[in-house]
Amino acid sequence: MNGRKSFGAKKGGRAGAAGAQGKDGQRRPMFRRRKVCKFCSDKIDDINYKDTKLLLPFVPERAKILPRRISGTCALHQRKLRVALMRARQLALIPYTAE
Amino acid sequence: MTRKYELVYVVSPEASDDQVTDLHHQVEAIVQRVGGSIEKTENWGRRRLAYEIGRHKEGTYVLEVLHGTGELMKEIDRRLKVTDLIIRHLVVRVDEAQAVIERTKARRSATSQRRRVARGLPADRQPGEGQRGDADDDRDDRFDMGNERGMDR
Repeated sequence: MNGRKSFGAKKGGRAGAAGAQGKDGQRRPMFRRRKVCKFCSDKIDDINYKDTKLLLPFVPERAKILPRRISGTCALHQRKLRVALMRARQLALIPYTAE
Repeated sequence: MTRKYELVYVVSPEASDDQVTDLHHQVEAIVQRVGGSIEKTENWGRRRLAYEIGRHKEGTYVLEVLHGTGELMKEIDRRLKVTDLIIRHLVVRVDEAQAVIERTKARRSATSQRRRVARGLPADRQPGEGQRGDADDDRDDRFDMGNERGMDR
């Protein structure tokens, strides 16, 4: 009985693995667009703390700074962006946290 | 050593317009006394604050671009700190950052001109050039930031 049970479990496990693989196979070829740095592609040199329109897309609802891994911003511009956002926060142009 | 600074201060919403201009005159007086100049003044008017400061939800923003020494900014900073009507202020030195921006802009236009000449084109962009008839999915790549996060989870 015990052996049968384990056999069943094994089978189930295998089926699960196959299912995941199938899913993966579907997911892989799905097109994932390469992220590009907004500031590089738009040639924005001046990341200014006064320009809230430019900064707001980088602070989602929780008002945390959007990480590079999601926004695709390059290291140089992320550093500049961070400084600008922190200045804007100090002047209450951008929130520190969501209420 | 004279440098360029930007000063933004947030005046309490209870202040009248006269009091706001009075504050500007106070800053002006300090600038004149210590030695410096005001390049421009911008009143952004009344804006909603992103978060409450004290019990204020709004404030009047004023931007001043100044030329002066570090001593001058120290004095202004000190004065603004003790002024009750000012709920927040920020002093930023901008001359170096602006020089960097100028340099990168100049370098970019220089390289583009060099490459255009190398391709046998006139050095400067002609009007109407490089505009595509219909922008396909070329431009929408920065709008799917949210989607990709969803796909990871």
